Amino acid sequence: MKVGAWGRLMQVCGIAAGLVIGVMTVLVGYDVLARNLRLPSPGGIAEASEYGLALATLLAAPWLLWSEQHVRLDLLQMSLSPAAWRRLYRAAALVCLAISAVLAWYSVAVIVDLRQSGAVVMKAFTFPEWWVYVPAPLCFGLLGLEAARQVLRGPRVASS
Amino acid sequence: MTWWVTLTALFGALTMLLGLGLPVAFAFLGVNLVGALLFLGGEPGLMQVVRNGVASVTNFSLTPIPFFVLMGEILFHTGVAMKAIDAFDNVISRVPGRLSVIAIVAGTVFSAISGSTIATTALLGGLLLPQMLKRGYDPKMAMGPIMAIGGVDMLIPPSAITVLLGSLAGISITGLLVAGVVPGILLSALFVGWIVVRCWLNPALAPAFEQQAVVGWERWRPLLLYVTPLVAIFVIVIVAMSAGWATPTESAALGALATVAVCVAYRSLSWKALLDSLRGTAAISGMILFIVIGATTFSQILSFSGGTNGLVTLVQGSGLSPLGVLLVMMAILLVLGCFVDQVSTMLITLPFYMPLVQHFGFDPLWFGVMYLICMQLGLLTPPFGMLLFTMRSVAPPSITTKQIYAAVTPYVLFGLLMLGAVMAVPGLATWLPKLLLGK
Repeated sequence: MKVGAWGRLMQVCGIAAGLVIGVMTVLVGYDVLARNLRLPSPGGIAEASEYGLALATLLAAPWLLWSEQHVRLDLLQMSLSPAAWRRLYRAAALVCLAISAVLAWYSVAVIVDLRQSGAVVMKAFTFPEWWVYVPAPLCFGLLGLEAARQVLRGPRVASS
Repeated sequence: MTWWVTLTALFGALTMLLGLGLPVAFAFLGVNLVGALLFLGGEPGLMQVVRNGVASVTNFSLTPIPFFVLMGEILFHTGVAMKAIDAFDNVISRVPGRLSVIAIVAGTVFSAISGSTIATTALLGGLLLPQMLKRGYDPKMAMGPIMAIGGVDMLIPPSAITVLLGSLAGISITGLLVAGVVPGILLSALFVGWIVVRCWLNPALAPAFEQQAVVGWERWRPLLLYVTPLVAIFVIVIVAMSAGWATPTESAALGALATVAVCVAYRSLSWKALLDSLRGTAAISGMILFIVIGATTFSQILSFSGGTNGLVTLVQGSGLSPLGVLLVMMAILLVLGCFVDQVSTMLITLPFYMPLVQHFGFDPLWFGVMYLICMQLGLLTPPFGMLLFTMRSVAPPSITTKQIYAAVTPYVLFGLLMLGAVMAVPGLATWLPKLLLGK
């Protein structure tokens, strides 16, 4: 199935999420070996892997929506005609669009709020707390755009 | 608003959105947005939904999930799993229902490496089912073991769902991973016994077939070459956790790296296989963790609205014995499992269940293992058991959905039997953690 520029962007999100997990695996694995074998190890790997997990999840979410891989309960769809199913699909996508838009908006609000308050994370690394939330508006923004595409174009046969 | 009206409204809205076909995570997020407006103070509550969601996955205790999934994905994408199946095939030659037994034995070993239930079932279904049907196996005898062993995957560590349960319920993740081993192996043994006895009594279920005889060392060599390293990876993960050398997250990362090393040693790891494995891992972990993002605030809203407290108090004051409460809890899980996926089931029930576990003084590991058995049964029970769908996707069109349901029925009954056994003999779940961890 031909994938356009939008599809390629979604696939890049999926690959990037996978690469983040790959880097986390290497770092955490090395960290435990280094600790037990008394080799040098950069500090803060556990904390970095926490941020990596959030980043990977938020990167993967739009790709999973695009490739129809998010878990759905197809209770109604199984008993509907194809035309009725497409209408229901678009209605569900419209609700997803509204939810994503609200969350994208409030993700930006969280970032602005944290910037204004000057909150700082002080664990292994010290940095402004709003950095942690930067992937959130991007994720929900992309989810909103994908949901809008689904509203306008209906379901696509998934191909990841 | 009284607590039961609130609960009915929240769960009613959730059910409606799920019924509409929204992805599960979005259904939770939608209910959260309304709940936050009503119960968490409006705009600050909406910002809290975002903060809770991101914080819920910025969590070291959930990091084993992608690592465990990656172990399975690498094994499957490199073809090393296939070599292990061939190795079993050489050794198990004269047993009635040989290919069905291979499905169970190979599935049990893969369960010990793979944190992904669906990947295990899809692999075994894709590889073994066509062979079994070609050899004239009864479709029920062919499909049942493959689906059943996929469910056992959840009990035998490493298991992504077990990590999630431990993290969400506040139960020791290491303890829970270790506690599933004995019931998981017992279930596998029960399955093998059932297959052998059934095929011995009625050979037409799994006709014997001639195969090239492999004798002597050549018969055992593949087992040593291709299965021993997989078992070693399982041992590395469990020993690293049990001995306190590494946290579950670190053990999982070690396991993933060990799996990569084994595949490199077999010269089976290509860049494509690695990239496909990472992408598969991102998909499965992303599915699970995005539902966690969606549902985190849900339990907070349940609590703030008084719903959790109301229902828990009602159960506490119901006069039911602790065993009665436990039976009701398990029954609810079994019913939910027929309709709702595992992660959502956890996020819906745990806010109510864990206060009751504390109140009645249930051993958390014992309770956790029974909870996992119910989750495992949920994967196998119609109409929406995930493994039934996985089997549907790999089975030929001539196989009816009814046949798939019939195939899994005996194994569901064995699962219920194991649930009863663990309930009656808690030591089945708690003995090994006590021995290895002192918990």
